[in-house]
Amino acid sequence: MNAAAAGKVYPEAPFTVDPGRVAAFRGVFSQVEGVPVTFATAAEFTVIPGIVADPEVAIDFSRVLHGAQEYEFRRPLREGETLAIRSRIESIRSLGANSFLVLVTELVEPGGEIVCTARSTLIERAAD
Amino acid sequence: MPSPARVEAGSELPTRSRIVTAEDVKAYADAGGDANPLHQDEAVARAAGFPGIVAHGMFTMGHLAACIAEWAGGPERVRRLTSQFRAPVFMGEEIVAGGRVKSVDTERALALVECWVTVERDGRTEWPIKRGHAEVLLGE
Repeated sequence: MNAAAAGKVYPEAPFTVDPGRVAAFRGVFSQVEGVPVTFATAAEFTVIPGIVADPEVAIDFSRVLHGAQEYEFRRPLREGETLAIRSRIESIRSLGANSFLVLVTELVEPGGEIVCTARSTLIERAAD
Repeated sequence: MPSPARVEAGSELPTRSRIVTAEDVKAYADAGGDANPLHQDEAVARAAGFPGIVAHGMFTMGHLAACIAEWAGGPERVRRLTSQFRAPVFMGEEIVAGGRVKSVDTERALALVECWVTVERDGRTEWPIKRGHAEVLLGE
C-alpha cells in the first residue's frame, strides 16, 4: 500500500437504494421490513473495487481483509431514493508488517445533507 | 419495541443464531456486490492460508445488525453500528449474535449497546466480532 494515497478523494457517483436489492439483503438476513443497516455497504462497494484496483493506492488484493466497519445514520435510507456517494481515503497506516486503510463514504441527499457516513478499515496482511 | 422505561443498563438483547452456509454467503456476495473469491472459491481461500471458504465480515455484521434491529423494533431505529472483525467464520459454523445495554441516554432516548458475535470452535469461544457498539432509538 502507498501511504501517500491518504487523503485521496474519489469522484462522486450516484447510488439508488434499489428496492429489489434491499429485498435481497432482507432475505439474506431474514428481516421482514425496512432497509437493513448494513445495506450502506452496497453503496461502498460501488467504489471499493476501484480503490482496490487503483495503482496509486497499490493494494495487493490477494492479501486484503476487512478489519472494521462503522455506520452512522442521520436518518434511515429510503427505498427508491438516489443519493450521491462521496468516498475518500481517510488514512493509511502501517502497524508491524500490516497496512491499514480507512475509507470514508458519505451518502448525501440532493440538498447536500449527509444521510449516512460509513467507515471501512481494509487490512493488507504481511506477505509470507 | 423497547422504551426507556423498560430498557436499563445491563439489559441483555435476545441472542440470534444461524448456521453459515456457502449458499447464504453467495447470496450475500450477490446482494452486497462483494465478489472477493476468498468468500466463494475453496482454492483461493486455501491459498490465502485458510482451511476453507471464509464468510464475509459483512455477512457476520449483517447478522449482528439483524439481531440489533429485531430488538430495536426495526432497522430504522439503529442510528450507529460499529464492528471489529477479529476472527474468520467458516462454512457450517453457527454464529451467535448478542448484546447488552451499557447505558441509556434518556435525554436523547438512545440506548448505547455493546454487541458481539461468537462461534464455538474446537471447544473454544471465538469472537468474529468483538467490541461492537450500537446506538438505538427508544420509544416514540
